[in-house]
Amino acid sequence: MPQAVLQFHDVLKRYGEYTAVDRLSFELAAGEFFTLLGPSGCGKTTTLRLVAGLEDPDDGEILLHGAPIASPKRGILVPPDKRRMGMVFQSYAIWPHMTVFENVAFPLRVRAEGADSLRKKVLDALELVGLGGLQERGATSLSGGQQQRVALARALAYTPTILLLDEPLSNLDAKLREQMRFELRALQRRLNLTVLYVTHDQTEAMTLSDRIAVMRQGKIEQLGNAAEIYERPATAFVGDFLGRTVVLEGALKKIGQQLTLEFRGGERLSVGENHNGKFSDGDAIRVVCRPEDVRILPDGPVDATEVRARVHEIAYLGDHLEYTVDACGRSIVVVSGKGERYAAGAAIRLAFDPARLTLLRIES
Amino acid sequence: MTTIAMPAAPAVKVHRFRLAEYGALLFFAVVMGLPVAFLVLSSFNIAPPSKPAVYGLDNWARAFSDPGTLSALWMSFLLSITYLIPGMILSIAVAWLIARTDMPGRGAIEFCCWFAYFVPDFPMVLAWILLLDPNFGFLNTAARALPFVQGPLFNPYSFWGIVWVHLSTGGIWFKVMLLTPIFRRIGATLEEAARVAGANYFTVLRRVSLPVIMPAVLAVAALSFIRGLESFNTELLLGTPVGIYVYATRIYDYTRHEPSAYGEATALGSVFLVVLAILAYFYQRRLKGKRFTVVTGQGYSTLRVKLGKLKYVAFAACAAYIAIMMFLPLGFLILGSVMRRYGFFHLREPFSLIHWQNLFGDPIFFLALKNSLVIAAITAVAAVALYSTVGYLLASRKIKTAPMLEMLTWMPWVVPGILMSLGLLWLFLATPARSVLYGSVLGIALALTIKESPVCSQAFKSAFLQLGPDLEEAARVSGASWSYTYRRVLVPLVAPVAATVGLISFGNALTSISTPVLLYSPRSRPLAILLMEYSFSGEVERAAALGLLITAMVSVMMLVGRKFVRPLTGNL
Repeated sequence: MPQAVLQFHDVLKRYGEYTAVDRLSFELAAGEFFTLLGPSGCGKTTTLRLVAGLEDPDDGEILLHGAPIASPKRGILVPPDKRRMGMVFQSYAIWPHMTVFENVAFPLRVRAEGADSLRKKVLDALELVGLGGLQERGATSLSGGQQQRVALARALAYTPTILLLDEPLSNLDAKLREQMRFELRALQRRLNLTVLYVTHDQTEAMTLSDRIAVMRQGKIEQLGNAAEIYERPATAFVGDFLGRTVVLEGALKKIGQQLTLEFRGGERLSVGENHNGKFSDGDAIRVVCRPEDVRILPDGPVDATEVRARVHEIAYLGDHLEYTVDACGRSIVVVSGKGERYAAGAAIRLAFDPARLTLLRIES
Repeated sequence: MTTIAMPAAPAVKVHRFRLAEYGALLFFAVVMGLPVAFLVLSSFNIAPPSKPAVYGLDNWARAFSDPGTLSALWMSFLLSITYLIPGMILSIAVAWLIARTDMPGRGAIEFCCWFAYFVPDFPMVLAWILLLDPNFGFLNTAARALPFVQGPLFNPYSFWGIVWVHLSTGGIWFKVMLLTPIFRRIGATLEEAARVAGANYFTVLRRVSLPVIMPAVLAVAALSFIRGLESFNTELLLGTPVGIYVYATRIYDYTRHEPSAYGEATALGSVFLVVLAILAYFYQRRLKGKRFTVVTGQGYSTLRVKLGKLKYVAFAACAAYIAIMMFLPLGFLILGSVMRRYGFFHLREPFSLIHWQNLFGDPIFFLALKNSLVIAAITAVAAVALYSTVGYLLASRKIKTAPMLEMLTWMPWVVPGILMSLGLLWLFLATPARSVLYGSVLGIALALTIKESPVCSQAFKSAFLQLGPDLEEAARVSGASWSYTYRRVLVPLVAPVAATVGLISFGNALTSISTPVLLYSPRSRPLAILLMEYSFSGEVERAAALGLLITAMVSVMMLVGRKFVRPLTGNL
């Protein structure tokens, strides 16, 4: 395995009593698109700013290519201008008193780049982000999407060690956002950039990232690729944050290697094999799965992987239908295609796929 | 793959930041803390000047056994509150008319208020003397021609005379300039929501708009009241001749005693500091947290109340007020400066430029002009350099002492010019700084620079806050050092504010009297002090000429700088 570009060891950042980043450790490999995903206030932006050198950690170490760039206990704190990062801010932070050219040329100027190669690099960067020909425009006369591209060009004008992106797409409209997402990914592949990306939008995270770290209260809740964290959320929080989830709660009954959940009404559901013996008889268990992994069947006899339910409400969402149903003593939302329809009040069955269920123990 | 050569364990620990932070704190502590400490301390020093200190309560006893002391304190409050009330009512009305109605010519009215705000007050007081003096005042002379009018009709040398003149000088225009943007910034959505909910305009005004801006209006009133307490020029010219003393003129009087009564002056000053500190505390508390509630909501309100025919009445009233309170006295200032003997229209050649010639022929005038320009230039440069740093520190989230620093920057609102001069006088006399600062233009410039602290610090602070940290941080991450970022990114972006701060500091330095009055010496006498001396020696015509000259200098400067100044006055 190649040496990690960036390493966090036990990094701690406090603001007074509030712990923004709580003993965080992770590594970033060369050429990787790594996303910090989480709700606002989870510490993801602080983490990014720690990498940039805009915040100083209170404890722990941040290493860049194995050399410390921030280590309070060693008294090392490399200032942001010596870290060779490129960063795109959520607000883009385009300097309004400079032209597009001057904005993009700034990182090169401070590094005393020669005039000819400076000009070439700036124009190349602008070409790269699709802004060729706009270099003499005043930076503030650009649209939001163009400003975003200028910010990206500025971050790429010299080759940064890591490209830091702080919710760069959140101020764009939906259509532009999708387009930029696509271009960003293509650019990262083409230039083999190492990217640290911060977002609260799970769609962005899932479509862009090689790996995603879902953060909560300054800690990483789960780290993995998009499929892993979506299919197998490690905690209910991760599952919920990544999109709609179906949640059922009940008590565990062990029948040999097979696990069965008993709900309050006495109804039972087979939830598959014992997961490495993690659970024991009588555990209170929460079952999490995706709405699209639950099938709706017409009323009839139920087998071990099915439960009875009753339709409560129907929402028509164009390409699919969303049913709010009462099942196992809870109200849950499931989706189905337009093929079969059930009226409100209709009795139905819900079929679960034991392989797609995630079981979590409810800590009392 | 790029590899990066990391500097070996660079111990970058010296934050320029911290240096600036502690520097600013130290500066304020020395130039404001020490003088204030001196004031309080020396009020207990009962030894005669230049003798070893002996401490006791004699000064306090003497100051307070003198009935004049308490009555001066009382008079300060009484005057300030008396002209505050009509002043607030008038300025709220004018600000509302300008910002929220369809009154014709509201732009012109606003411009006139803005212009009047910069007209120095001392020449205006002089002008009112030219109009209202019992012996030679034009209005009294004219009134005498009427039947049934025996003696003088008006007398400016009185309580109500002082109140009247205050309603024409700085105070009222200052309030209009502060209130207009407040009325403008009531969030449009707040009012529109009320309209849609079924309220008519006046219900909206009563139930939504006024409650929303009330904290800000009260803050303006408190600020005006505190500023009224330190008023000096009007009371000096109109009150002193008839024995009406406010505490500022009383302190001035004490220091002019032979032998000078610094003990009593400092005792009086200390009492006043306590009173002002209490007022300022409540003002700050009111302001905190409330201030920005007004600015919520998206966009400025576009709803304007339609006044119908009344709008012409409103315009006529505003125009008349400005004409009588502003242009009438200014006109008489011009008239006074070109009459051989003011008020004597029946002379063979009543008009003459002799006083202008005398003024320009006076060598003292040129020295004073030079002094004034030097003082104003130093003040402007120092204010920009110092308060851009302070404003930057206040806006940055990275310093822990921000609240303390913020409080210190507000101090000059609280410590009146004359008290600060008294404290600084001691600082200049009792420290090695004496040779450089005592009685010199530098000393005066320092005092004036300190006096500018609240407005200038706040202007820079809000400018930096508006920029936000991103622009600066983007430059840092792009590889620019802090000083390069400061020069290439921050300074160009706040340049308009810097120009405004420089201009206002320059103008205030030209016209201030109460701050340099205890600090000047014959070789550092500025124009404003010369104007005061002319006024006292009974040379009203020459004083009118000089007053007009100063007014013209400031007005031209402000008109030229209007482009820059506008955004700031909107931000106060």
